[in-house]
Amino acid sequence: MKATADSQPISSAMEDNYKTLCDIYSKCNDIIFRELKIGGKTESFLVFIDGMVNVEVLDLHIVRCLQHLTEPLTNENCMEVLGGELSISNLLSVESIEDAVSHIGMGCITLFVNGITLCFSMGLAKWEKRGIEEPAAESVVRGPREGFTETMSVNRAMLRRKIKTPALKMVPYRLGRQTHTEVNLTYIEGIASEALVNEADDRISGIDIDGILESGYVEGLIEDSPFSPFPQMQVTERPDVVSAALLEGRVAILVDGTPFVLIAPATLFTMMQSPEDYYQRFYIGTLIRWLRYLFFITTLILPSLYVAILTFHQEMVPTSLLLSIAKSREDIPFPALVEALLMEVSFEALREAGVRLPKQVGAAVSIVGALVIGQAATSAGLVSAPMVMVVAITGIASFMMPQYSAGIAIRMLRFPIMFLSGVLGLLGLMLGIIFIVVHLCSLRSFGVPYLQPIAPMKGNEMKDVLARSPIWMQRRRPKLTGRPNNVNRQAPGMKPEPPKGNESS
Amino acid sequence: MIEKGRISPVQLAIFMHPTVLATASLSVPAITMKTAGHDMWAAPIVSSLIGFMVVLVMFKLHERYPNETFIQYSESILGKYLGRAIGLSYIFSFLFTNGIVIREYGEFIAATFLLETPMVFVVVGLMIVCAYALHQGIEVWARAAQLLVPIALVIIVFMLVIMVPDMHVKEMFPIMEYGPLPLLRASIVPSSWFSQYFIIAIFLPYLSKKGRTALNWTMISVVASLTTMTLINFAVLFIFGDINKSYNYPFLIAVRYVSLSDFIEHIESLLMTAWLVAIFIKITVVYYAAALGTAQILRLTDYRILIGPIGLLMVLLSLWCAPNLEELTELLGRSVPFFSSIFQIWIPLLMLGVAMARGARTA
Repeated sequence: MKATADSQPISSAMEDNYKTLCDIYSKCNDIIFRELKIGGKTESFLVFIDGMVNVEVLDLHIVRCLQHLTEPLTNENCMEVLGGELSISNLLSVESIEDAVSHIGMGCITLFVNGITLCFSMGLAKWEKRGIEEPAAESVVRGPREGFTETMSVNRAMLRRKIKTPALKMVPYRLGRQTHTEVNLTYIEGIASEALVNEADDRISGIDIDGILESGYVEGLIEDSPFSPFPQMQVTERPDVVSAALLEGRVAILVDGTPFVLIAPATLFTMMQSPEDYYQRFYIGTLIRWLRYLFFITTLILPSLYVAILTFHQEMVPTSLLLSIAKSREDIPFPALVEALLMEVSFEALREAGVRLPKQVGAAVSIVGALVIGQAATSAGLVSAPMVMVVAITGIASFMMPQYSAGIAIRMLRFPIMFLSGVLGLLGLMLGIIFIVVHLCSLRSFGVPYLQPIAPMKGNEMKDVLARSPIWMQRRRPKLTGRPNNVNRQAPGMKPEPPKGNESS
Repeated sequence: MIEKGRISPVQLAIFMHPTVLATASLSVPAITMKTAGHDMWAAPIVSSLIGFMVVLVMFKLHERYPNETFIQYSESILGKYLGRAIGLSYIFSFLFTNGIVIREYGEFIAATFLLETPMVFVVVGLMIVCAYALHQGIEVWARAAQLLVPIALVIIVFMLVIMVPDMHVKEMFPIMEYGPLPLLRASIVPSSWFSQYFIIAIFLPYLSKKGRTALNWTMISVVASLTTMTLINFAVLFIFGDINKSYNYPFLIAVRYVSLSDFIEHIESLLMTAWLVAIFIKITVVYYAAALGTAQILRLTDYRILIGPIGLLMVLLSLWCAPNLEELTELLGRSVPFFSSIFQIWIPLLMLGVAMARGARTA
């Protein structure tokens, strides 16, 4: 029993092929062999996977056509004859059993004819798939509402519909010894630098693993610093985000079977940008961006800051506020650090439960959760009211990251910082922050420093990080790995202006 | 070359600023006050001349040996044995300097913020972060400096601004009450800080842009250090006047004293965070110089194996260098200026002289 076929040529005797395929697909209940006589005399059989092919077309246009075929098939004329008779656009001839098996796996219908050393693969794959929906985790108020699906061809088409130039390249790979998952490396030729494309190609080709079930597998196998808590590739299920990245000269990696597409290179700042920043007016885009930066830092340090100040630096708090905090902490038996850990851990637990739990019990958990983190905890004397507020703000702040995986990194990192500030106060907090900053500076994503363009400074690109500059000001593409082919992305003088002229008339 | 990373002149300018100012902003106002009285504000201006001179000397030497650090070209200038002896003594001077700096940091934290925490704990905590930064290489920590220093500067400037209502300009009069001599004597101490610009000799070979741009940015860095130091001196002088000298850390006391609409007060912890950034960069710079220099003397291919031992030595030296804060201040005010002027001014000058006399250059 072999899982894969040898590269054996197709025999001219149909029985041999039939037997070989039966051996390969022994105990595979979902493979269907359909024998039929072409034109009523030539022996032949079809092989396909149940549920992966378009049965209606097969019945109506292929089986019937073949049965009524009059011209005899030979090795020389078979492609012409079949191409002429069968109304199928995607018809290929295959020469080895191995290729035939891989075509069957992709959902093609294969036809073996007695006396012919070729087999014909008809691309009639069709299976039940989810429709295009709005991505749940990346919804916007203004902007396209479509999201990628689990099907590669649909995803590719969505990108091609946005970027119609033939320079949009999609290089295919088959990854996974068992899963043979299709992976596409997508980039715009002439915009993405060759060095970057080659690097991505090298890294993807190097993957040798049993199975790729999600783009996370690919990400984990090609990223630069595998031990870092920070994601080094952007993950999105929005075609417009991928298109924007491609137009900036980045590359995207599409994986069949998941709506999540990888974008590389990514920086910390691309993780904090939402597509909506660019669709709205630039003032609000800028302000929202700064709000996100602020709350990014808040998520990281607010609980630690509270712990540090209450434990070591009470003098920093204004007197009246200090008194009310002291009053609310009067009954609390724990030091601030324990209190914070208690609340933060239970908040994380609630959040995880909220993601996993079945919809029917969702309401129950939210009610209990609201009680645990909140009124009941305060009145039971377990936590103080200010701490509840701190945890709540931190929780809200952590939801502000447009990139879910980047949010996870800071959610995790706030715990060690909390410990540090519980032990060394603001000094510990600061040591933790310096450590994280040094770590962030050490990261690279496909050769691009993670904190570019702030460190190292790139004056021209900062206007898309410190602000969301108006579209007509974004004349140049960001500089990524390698030498970009063309940096200008719009004609000069795109600033809209009313025509100058006689205004009185 | 051991170090393959490259830094930009801007990054050099940025990380040299805290390298000079980190400790200076704490102890220099009090030390200069003791000698110069209320003329102390001018002391950084006079002593910055040393800074400009040192930068010029180091660039002159760098022109002759564009791809070598000080430790390396000392051998070609002074010959194999003398050169190596000089190199080795510089390694010790780096160790000693950092020992003192770490001790100052430890004393400052122990005396003002974490009164009951053992100093070793505080010191080792920072050294671990510095060692991590060093392990990641010069590009990484230079970038980290580029990110952190502007934030720290904003905090300092913010503090200076909210001090303005408490300042009294009359404290600086009469100018030069006892003639220029006390001022000149007082300038000796801050000049030992400015002469720390000597350490650019370790980094110049690794600049991505050389020549005029590098020199300009380094000079801008000296001017920025001078400005910051003068502003801090003005602040403490205008707020406290003559009672400055009785404080160990007058700027800290000034920050503790200010208050903005009764809401922002006692923000000295905020100063500590800004200052911690500066001290982190300072220690990392000297730590790096020591590690890289040692690797170059020992002809190693990588300095990273030296991070552990050198870090340990620095922590130990920080404990050995002085028995208590009083002696440490005494050390800083009396022997360190002498020591650093030898290492950071006279020997480099001498080497430049020898190099010019022998016409020595890289082949």
